[in-house]
Amino acid sequence: MAAIGQVKIRVPSGIKGGDIVRVRALVIHPMEIVERKDGKPVDKNYHFINRVIVTYLGKEIAQFDTSQSISENPFFAFAVKATDPGELKVIFLDTHGGRYEGTADIKLG
Amino acid sequence: MATSIHRTMTRRGWLRALGWLGVALGLSSWRLGGARAASAQGHLADLVPEENVDATIKRLFAGRPIKDGASAIKLDLPLIAENGAVVPVAVEVAAPQTSQSYVKAIYIISDKNRRPLNVKFNLSPAVGQAYVGTNLRLGESTDVRAVVEMNDGTLLQAKRDVKVTVGGCGG
Repeated sequence: MAAIGQVKIRVPSGIKGGDIVRVRALVIHPMEIVERKDGKPVDKNYHFINRVIVTYLGKEIAQFDTSQSISENPFFAFAVKATDPGELKVIFLDTHGGRYEGTADIKLG
Repeated sequence: MATSIHRTMTRRGWLRALGWLGVALGLSSWRLGGARAASAQGHLADLVPEENVDATIKRLFAGRPIKDGASAIKLDLPLIAENGAVVPVAVEVAAPQTSQSYVKAIYIISDKNRRPLNVKFNLSPAVGQAYVGTNLRLGESTDVRAVVEMNDGTLLQAKRDVKVTVGGCGG
């Protein structure tokens, strides 16, 4: 079992300037679902990722509001227009205040 | 003995008062709207409410008309999902993503889930193309819809049903 919060980002290789590339980001996380007792939901601070922020060259380009109806160890795929070489960063925030981030270098070649 | 009990009581009272103060401060900042980044938001009151899909759509879009966008939206889903806990989905919008006209948000909604809104993707023109993908949890066989909100407020929708053999939401 990998540790919670481990982030993997996959970027295709051989990108040219101006290409639209598809990126996949994965984080190891339990994404707890609502427990039920006698049919009633139990109130507690469920541990799941509720926000994902994508930045490229230091600028926020997308953010996702996620819920518990996303699978355990969630992955998110999205597109990025690779205008300049630089850093792509994906930040995952969870309901317990956890902040997990991963980066990938966009290289143009 | 009696004095020490008295002392611990007041100490407890103090701590409790401080705790309430903290809660009050937290709530007030939440009211002011700074809130999504703060921690401890997994309580039931903070989740998307349990409701049927019509209520979700009404809550999200407040009765704005939703046009059929089946030709513009490519919704990629399996026909049969053996495991409802992991159902891959991908949404691609054919329209180009320019600063004049772009896809602002993509909502993924599963009609029969207890909490129908699965995820909302907020996009900007810098992504180049409105393409998103993730894995959904589906409780039972259901329609899954992708609602695309353009920057001018237009709503488009594509819908597909998925057969789920084993539900993915526990019980």
